[in-house]
Amino acid sequence: MRKVDITRLIPQRAPILMVDELVRVDGDEAETSFEVKADNYFIEQGSLAEVGLIEHIAQSASALAGYKAITAGATEPPVGLIGEVKRFHCYRCPRVGETLRTTIRMGAEVAGVTLLSGETRVQEEVVADTQMKIFVP
Amino acid sequence: MLLENRYYQLVSQEIAGERGAFHVRLLPECAIYQGHFPGNPICPGVCQIEMIKECATLLTGRDLRIRSVAQCRLTALASPTVCPELEVEVLASSVENGFLVRATVSDAKQKYVDFKGEMICREA
Repeated sequence: MRKVDITRLIPQRAPILMVDELVRVDGDEAETSFEVKADNYFIEQGSLAEVGLIEHIAQSASALAGYKAITAGATEPPVGLIGEVKRFHCYRCPRVGETLRTTIRMGAEVAGVTLLSGETRVQEEVVADTQMKIFVP
Repeated sequence: MLLENRYYQLVSQEIAGERGAFHVRLLPECAIYQGHFPGNPICPGVCQIEMIKECATLLTGRDLRIRSVAQCRLTALASPTVCPELEVEVLASSVENGFLVRATVSDAKQKYVDFKGEMICREA
């Protein structure tokens, strides 16, 4: 894959830009990375709040969708919104300084709604996983 | 509290046993709208979920974290213009070391969030 700046792949911006880089794309699967910094909007008692993990996973999926769109010739990344969060688990809130690696698997798109699953790790440790529906309004 | 007085303001609350109703006002000047999305302010679903967590914290008097979300449906687009004030209704039933939480976020017009999950008490 070719490397594309994250701001070309997703429409979110600071202070709610929650992916640093789209690291790998392989068909309907992708991997992203994100460093938890002290000035992140969702830091609570030195750790990233659970909803920060949900947002990071959603934006990881958006980065894959954006990559596909840009590769297909779009100039702007699509705006996707979370329609549903299902079977989300937070095993541990990552601490400031840790780097998240997230694997996304996209399912089929039906009527503008895409089903996906995501798993977030800090090194080898799974810290969160979820299923999600993203829709493009 | 991560979002109280940053993303929303608590206007009033009514607590009766394991049920609570929280009337909140969204803060249109909140920095989050600069990025979600530039020129097109839309409430991030995750901020609505965090608001539910904070209301559950007020209801139970315990410092809670979200362990799992069985299902959370975001059923309508929310923004400070569409819904300047919201009602967060929370039911928290005691389970071991935490609470099963059911909650909705709505106004007179419609429902925006329907949440079902488990929150546990943060270790001291």
